[in-house]
Amino acid sequence: MPAIFPRWTNKIPLAIAVLGPLVGAGVIFGVWYYWSPEFTDVGYRPEQPVSFSHKLHAGDMGLDCRYCHNTVEVAAKAAIPPTQTCMNCHSLVKTDSPKLKKVRDSYESGKPIPWVRVHQLPDYAFFDHRPHLAAGVGCSTCHGRIDQMTVVQMDQPLSMGWCLDCHRDPDNNLRPLDRITDMNWDPHSEEALAYNPNEDPERKRKVVPPEHCSGCHR
Amino acid sequence: MRTSLKPTQLFAAACLAAGVLASGCQGNRSEAPPVHIWHNMDFQNKLDPQEEYDFFFAIDCPEEAAKIAELKAKAVAHGHNPDHLPLPEKTCRGRAMRNAPAGTVARGHLKNDDHLYKGRGPDGRLVDELPKGIVLSEELLNRGEERYNIYCQPCHDYAGTGQGIATRRGGGFAVQPANFHEDKFRAMPLGHFYDVIVNGKGTMLPYAAQIVSVEDRWAIAAWVRTLQQSRTTVAMGGK
Ligand code: HEC
Ligand code: HEC
Ligand code: HEC
Ligand code: HEC
Ligand code: HEC
Ligand code: HEC
Repeated sequence: MPAIFPRWTNKIPLAIAVLGPLVGAGVIFGVWYYWSPEFTDVGYRPEQPVSFSHKLHAGDMGLDCRYCHNTVEVAAKAAIPPTQTCMNCHSLVKTDSPKLKKVRDSYESGKPIPWVRVHQLPDYAFFDHRPHLAAGVGCSTCHGRIDQMTVVQMDQPLSMGWCLDCHRDPDNNLRPLDRITDMNWDPHSEEALAYNPNEDPERKRKVVPPEHCSGCHR
Repeated sequence: MRTSLKPTQLFAAACLAAGVLASGCQGNRSEAPPVHIWHNMDFQNKLDPQEEYDFFFAIDCPEEAAKIAELKAKAVAHGHNPDHLPLPEKTCRGRAMRNAPAGTVARGHLKNDDHLYKGRGPDGRLVDELPKGIVLSEELLNRGEERYNIYCQPCHDYAGTGQGIATRRGGGFAVQPANFHEDKFRAMPLGHFYDVIVNGKGTMLPYAAQIVSVEDRWAIAAWVRTLQQSRTTVAMGGK
C-alpha cells in the first residue's frame, strides 16, 4: 500500500515556518506603507481649470498668501480667491493671454472658476486655521513650499497622527507671529532653533493645543 | 534541490515586482484623487464654504438650466425618458454659499456711520481725520504697514511710488499705479484713501472684499499718509 501522504508533504511544515512569517511581514509592510496617507494622499495634485502658478505669483513676485487667501487669519477656511482678485492685476497685465481666458469669462459672467479642491479633511474632523495662525504656526509647516509649486500639491498627510505629533510638542513648530506667511522660514536654521516662544514678549499666553478627542471631533 | 525557478514561479515573482513598481512610492505626484480605504463618514451630508451644490443650479445658472429643461421637454414630446438624455457638460455650477436676499440687512451690519464706513462727513464730503474709536497709535501704524505690504505693496511698492513688482513683469501694467508722493495725492484728505480702498478708482478695482475689516482700511489709509509724510520730511531736511 502506498503512503497516504506523498513524500513532498514533509516540506509543508518547513514551508509554513519560512513563508508564513515572510507573507505576514509582507502584509504588515504593505498596509503600513500603502495604506498610509503618506501614500494615498501626499503628492495629490489635481489639474486646475486655469494654470495658475503659486511659484510665479507667491514665489517670484512675492505676493503674500493673505493677498488672495484673505480670510485665513479670521476664519476656519482659507478662502480661495474670487475672480475679481485675479482681475485686480489681470485687467491691467497680460490682458489678452489665452491662459487667462477662463478668468476673463468668469469675471464677465459672474460665474466662479471651478477650482479643484486639493486638501480635504474627512467631514468628522474639525480644523480651523485661525488659532493655528494666531499661535504662530506658518503656512509652510502644513502646506510645504507652496511658493515653489507651479501646481499645488499635498505636502503633508493631514492624518490624525500628524496633527497630534505637533499638538503634543508644538514649541518646535512655532515662529514669531509676524513670520507666519514667510516661506523661507527654515525650522532647522539657527534663528529658528534660537527662537523660544515662551520668552517672546509678543505672546500673551502659552499655547495649549487640544489632545482630547472632542478638540478635533466635535 | 532544484536550482532554477519554474516558469510559474518566475511569473508570480514578476507580477509581484511589477505590482510594487506600478504602485509607486510614498509622496509620488499624482492627479488621481486620494484613496479612501475606509470610507467611514468621510463625506457627510454637509456643505463646506465655497463648495458647489447642485440644488441651486437652476438659480445660479439660469441659462444652462433653461437649456437643459428645453432638451428634456423635447425628449418627453418625442416619448423618450428625459432622465436618460446625454446632457451637455455643465460650465456653470450651483453654489452652496448664498447671498442675503436683496433688501435685507444682517444684524449689526447696517453701517450707518458714514465717517467710519464711507470716509465721509455729514455734509457728504471726504473727511480728513480718523473716525472716533480709531486712535492714531504705534499699533495702528504697525498694523497699517503690515496690511499695506500685503494688499497694496505689489503694485504701489513699499515706499508708495507706484512701481511695485507686479507692474514690472509680463509686459508691465497698462496703467501705472499712482505715486502717492505727487502733490496731487499729498493734498488729498485721509478719507480719500479710505474711499479708494472701498470703491476703487479708475482702473484700480475696489479692495473692500479683500480687506473686510474697517479698522484695517483706516490703518492702511493712515500708513499711506505716513509714507507721504516720511518723504516730505526727508526732502525738507535735505534742502
Ligand atoms: C494670486 C493669488 C494667490 C496667492 C498670492 C496665493 N494663492 Fe494659494 N491659491 C490661489 C488659488 C487661485 C488657488 C486654487 C487653485 C490651485 O489650487 O492652484 C490656491 C490654492 C491654494 C492651496 C490649495 C487649496 C486646496 O484646494 O486645498 C493652498 C494650500 C494654497 N493656495 C496656499 C497658499 C500659500 C501658502 C500662499 C502664500 C505663499 C498662497 N497660497 C498664495 C491663489 C493664491
Ligand atoms: C498682484 C498682481 C497679480 C494678481 C493678483 C494675479 N496675477 Fe497672474 N500674473 C501677474 C503678472 C504680473 C503676470 C506675468 C508674469 C510674467 O510673465 O512674468 C501674471 C501671469 C499669470 C498667468 C500666466 C499668463 C501667461 O500668459 O503666461 C496666469 C495663468 C495667471 N497669472 C493667473 C492668475 C490667476 C488665476 C490669478 C487669481 C487667482 C492671478 N493670476 C492673480 C500678476 C498678478
Ligand atoms: C496647522 C496646519 C496648517 C497651517 C499652519 C495652515 N494650513 Fe491651510 N490647511 C490645513 C488643513 C488641515 C486644511 C484642510 C482643511 C479642511 O479640509 O477642512 C487646509 C486647507 C487650506 C486651504 C484650502 C481651503 C480650506 O480652508 O479648506 C487653503 C487655501 C489653505 N489651507 C491655505 C493656507 C494658508 C495661506 C496658510 C498660511 C497663512 C495656511 N493654510 C496655514 C492646515 C494648515
Ligand atoms: C505644526 C503644528 C500643528 C499642526 C500640524 C496641527 N496643529 Fe492644531 N494647533 C496647533 C497650535 C499651536 C494650536 C493653538 C493652541 C493654542 O492657541 O493654545 C492648535 C489648536 C488647534 C485646535 C483648537 C482650536 C480652538 O478653537 O481651540 C484644533 C481643533 C486643532 N488645532 C486641530 C488640528 C487638526 C485637526 C490638525 C490636523 C489636520 C492640526 N490641528 C494640526 C498646532 C498644530
Ligand atoms: C488634533 C486633532 C485630533 C485629536 C485630538 C483627535 N483626532 Fe481623531 N482624527 C483627527 C483627524 C484629522 C482625523 C482624520 C484623519 C484622516 O484623514 O484619515 C481623525 C480620524 C479619527 C478616526 C477615524 C480613523 C479612520 O480613518 O478610520 C477615529 C476613529 C478617531 N480619529 C478617533 C479619535 C479619538 C478616540 C481621539 C481621542 C483619543 C481622537 N480621535 C483625537 C484629528 C484628531
Ligand atoms: C493691482 C495693482 C494695485 C493694487 C494692489 C493697489 N492699487 Fe492703488 N492703484 C492702482 C492703479 C493701476 C492705480 C491708477 C488708477 C488710475 O489712475 O486709473 C491706482 C491708484 C491708486 C490711488 C490714487 C487714486 C486717485 O485718486 O487717482 C490710490 C489712493 C491708491 N491706488 C491706493 C491704493 C491702496 C491703499 C491700495 C491697497 C489697499 C492699493 N492702491 C492697491 C493699482 C493698484
